[in-house]
Amino acid sequence: MHQTSASVRTDPPQEPPAVVVRALTKVYSSGGSSVRALDGVDVEFARGAFTAIMGPSGSGKSTLMHCMAGLDTATSGSVRLGRTDLTTLTDKQLTLLRRDRIGFVFQSFNLLPMLTAEQNILLPAQIARRRVDPERLAHVVGVVGLDDRLDHLPSRLSGGQQQRVAVARALLGSPEVVYADEPTGNLDSRTGAEILAFLRDSARTMEQTVVMVTHDPVAASYADRVVFLRDGRLVDDLAAPTAQTVLDRLVGLEA
Amino acid sequence: MLRTTLAGLRAHMGRLATTVLAIVLGVAFTTGTLVFTDTLERSFATQVMGSMERVDVIAFPPEPDAGTDPEAGPPSFGTAALEEVRGLSEVTAATGVVFGTAPLLDSDGRTLGAFPTAGTSVGGDVARYEAAEGRLPEGDDEVALSTLSAEQGGFTVGDTVSVLDPGGEPHDFTVTGLIEFGLEQSVSYRGAVAFAFGTAERMVEGDGFAEIHVRAAEGVPVERAVTAVAGVLDEAADVRSGQEHGESLASAAGADAAIMGTALLLFAAVSVFVSALVIHNTFAILVAQRQREMALLRCVGALRGQVFRGMLLEALVVGLAASALGTAVGVGLGLGGFALGSEYVVSGTDTPIEPVVEAVPVLAGLLVGTLVTLVSALVPALRATRVAPLDALRSSAVADGLEKGVGRARVAVGAALFLASGAVLALTLSTEAGTTGMALVVASAMVCFVGVLAVSPLLVRGTVRVLGWPLRRLGAVGSLAVDNTLRSPKRAATAMIALTVGATLITGYSVISSSMRVTMDAQLAEQFPVDYSISPQLSPDGEEAPIPDSVAAELESSPLISSVFTSRSASDENQVFVETYPGAELGTDIGNGEVEGDIGDVGAGSAAVGAGTATELGVGLGDRVELESAEGRVSLTVVAIVPGSGGLSGVTTSVTDFESLFPEVGAGYLYVRAQDGTDLKELTEVVDDAVADHPTLQVASAAEIRSEFDRVLETMFLVISGMLGLAILIAVFGISNTMALSVLERRRESALLRALGLSKARLRRMLGAEAVLVSLVGAILGVALGTLFGWAAGRSAFDGMLFALPAVEIAGFLAAAVVAGLLAALMPARRAARTSITGALASE
Repeated sequence: MHQTSASVRTDPPQEPPAVVVRALTKVYSSGGSSVRALDGVDVEFARGAFTAIMGPSGSGKSTLMHCMAGLDTATSGSVRLGRTDLTTLTDKQLTLLRRDRIGFVFQSFNLLPMLTAEQNILLPAQIARRRVDPERLAHVVGVVGLDDRLDHLPSRLSGGQQQRVAVARALLGSPEVVYADEPTGNLDSRTGAEILAFLRDSARTMEQTVVMVTHDPVAASYADRVVFLRDGRLVDDLAAPTAQTVLDRLVGLEA
Repeated sequence: MLRTTLAGLRAHMGRLATTVLAIVLGVAFTTGTLVFTDTLERSFATQVMGSMERVDVIAFPPEPDAGTDPEAGPPSFGTAALEEVRGLSEVTAATGVVFGTAPLLDSDGRTLGAFPTAGTSVGGDVARYEAAEGRLPEGDDEVALSTLSAEQGGFTVGDTVSVLDPGGEPHDFTVTGLIEFGLEQSVSYRGAVAFAFGTAERMVEGDGFAEIHVRAAEGVPVERAVTAVAGVLDEAADVRSGQEHGESLASAAGADAAIMGTALLLFAAVSVFVSALVIHNTFAILVAQRQREMALLRCVGALRGQVFRGMLLEALVVGLAASALGTAVGVGLGLGGFALGSEYVVSGTDTPIEPVVEAVPVLAGLLVGTLVTLVSALVPALRATRVAPLDALRSSAVADGLEKGVGRARVAVGAALFLASGAVLALTLSTEAGTTGMALVVASAMVCFVGVLAVSPLLVRGTVRVLGWPLRRLGAVGSLAVDNTLRSPKRAATAMIALTVGATLITGYSVISSSMRVTMDAQLAEQFPVDYSISPQLSPDGEEAPIPDSVAAELESSPLISSVFTSRSASDENQVFVETYPGAELGTDIGNGEVEGDIGDVGAGSAAVGAGTATELGVGLGDRVELESAEGRVSLTVVAIVPGSGGLSGVTTSVTDFESLFPEVGAGYLYVRAQDGTDLKELTEVVDDAVADHPTLQVASAAEIRSEFDRVLETMFLVISGMLGLAILIAVFGISNTMALSVLERRRESALLRALGLSKARLRRMLGAEAVLVSLVGAILGVALGTLFGWAAGRSAFDGMLFALPAVEIAGFLAAAVVAGLLAALMPARRAARTSITGALASE
């Protein structure tokens, strides 16, 4: 039902990609046995684009996102955010990188329960001791439609509203990339559609790079491009997806 | 259900670790105290019985009747009596013991201690004592010292010491040995000088024998020897077997040990109470965290009762295990503490002390620990039964972290308790000082504490808001810490209240202590503005020699001294304390802080009365007070009421009136007041010269009195702090445990903050600030309560108590609370910072 909302970028970006991943490998070893979660992934994410990462459970899509976001360290290979190679950074540098250059939207537990919606939105800026431009705040809050809920605690917000707060928080600092991990996983389909529309619109109107991990073909269809992972490898790449094309490719992967 | 519980316990063992520690400490303190007391009692007994083993029969002269002439000196056996005992066929040997006073001089040539040392004979055929070091004296110029005297004077074997003979002439002796007299009679506080028999007769005042020690003949039962000895002595004489005498001494000493044990147990009770608070909080948090687990159990068919029993069973297992551990630690502590402390309690003994571990301390420890754990877990267990089965299906993790406000009922209960406490306090303050007042203050404090307990979440919220204000200025870390503390005020309240208990007691004590010091200083300066006081050495029978008039005369002749006056005091027929100050100008030299009237008006026919005595006698200003003695009676008009605690506690009369009542009583104290601006060193020389010929006079300067008093207060403070230290340590464990459990609960949140760019160091700092907030609130509350009730207790215990806030100590407590908070957060914060972000985000 969302096919029509997918669209093809008519002019491919000329500037360098926001995120470049080269030969990325991640091996988890525990007690003798080791699992290759990522096995030599090469992928690029264009600046200002909304990209979805898909794959069956255990395909390594979450691991890929964690490594690209500086939440986890790779075994080998490289991840570049702009000119920075994440694999060479210390934990402290990664923390600062996340704070200043990356935005996050998680599936759940996105908000701190004791802070109001507004405090949650302002949290990264407060942690970084960054000044917030009130106009930018008003704009972001307006875009996600939260004007009248700013002083509510998360417990008094619906699941959709909570995710909108999380999106506003991620967008506020204009990070180089926003990572969204199953952002609609806990929502009903209508609310989910709203959130996805926000992400897509913000990528377009604010030139915001967004990378989303999902297993839902409908969610993926909002993206400009979908990449497919299986067994830790990049196996397919689809531009201008629709729910149907995504589903077809997925079925193809399972076969 | 049992298997589920045990499996649950295994899974949560880590979370219970600090609870176990709290129980262990509380129980260990209790058991340790009991074991310590038992061992102490046993060691007293061993020590006494050890010295009595060498004596079969011991005889004491008859107690003097009330009617006998007091001039006759202490009762004694004559040589004839000893010879008769020796002549008995049941007796192999008998030795008479000379006992009296033989003042030992210190290295400055002044008598040692407030009481003159005892002089006694040792050795002979039946020698009760042996030398603990060196040997017993034999020659004319040899002495042995009691270990106490040797320690006080800093003497060792081989030193030369001077002892005054009955005429007051010093004689030199060589110390040949040290004797441990143990608990025997007054020697345990006076110390003693022991001579060979012949020397003792010469050096010790009084004649005859104070004791006869007997060894029974071969094959003669002790009872027969006792009967035989009693047969030849005065029938009023006290003759008993050595064993019997030893037992009575031991039981007297045992009573002392019991008092000490009771005091220690009070502190142990405080520790156990604090442990109970910590245990309660842990179980409450565990129940909250395991809500889904409980709900799942209910879903699969567990009854409410089963859930309840399951929780209690868990508490029982934890309580029993921890109590067992605590009891073991306590036994070790009690014995270890005894090994270390016995030197001070029972001075050196050659009999090895055997540890005493009876069933009572072990059972008491197990029972106290288990019961406290069970009772503490009761409310959380009840709460667990209220979990609805449907809760298992809801994911209410976000709402979980926040609790609803404090109920109206709590506020109402709290307010009622505060009112009650205030009323009792007001009642206390309107009554006179005394034990009733003290009891009322304690009652009021307890009621108030329960009130605080009821509204503690509100108090936490209020205080944290205030403390949080500056903290929030410091940025995100500070703000988050404040918000985290406020999200669950109940939990924070229980964690901090444990610290409040210790802080209240310790602050209360320091308020009393500093107030006493200030009051004492003020009253000394106001009531007794003297620089030196000279007094005779106290005598164990209460008959002090008066101060020679020549001393006063010599002092008066010095230009450095502005006034010299003496004091005489005695109690009248009705035990009213009467005092007078010959040579003193009343109102100038002494007493200038009257409650009513003017002490300067005291003359023949009038008197000043201490406030306490005035209340007892029921007299006020202008009333008449009747005094009566064997020599006469007077009726005096009360012209002044004085505070009473500065030295003028009784009825202060003119010299004329005093002499008509007590013509025989001489100067008990001599007071010296220097000219203003006199050099203290010169003054000391003048005073030293004046008393040089009278080595038994005790000289005390006001500065010395003050520093002595301060030292006593300080020692008390250290002891009490040490005892409360354990309760405070347990409270810190409690805060640490609450932090650790909160950190577990907030794994996702911590991971989120880390993902959003909060560094590990700042995450640790956030948790540190949180723990510091909790412990600071606890300490502040404790300081407030302690100050209030310390002040009230002081006021109700002593008349005219001046209030002094021990600002330095309080600042110290608050600083300690900050450090305690940081320590409490150390482990939880490390753990939180170490948690992998991706792992925590992935987990539910």
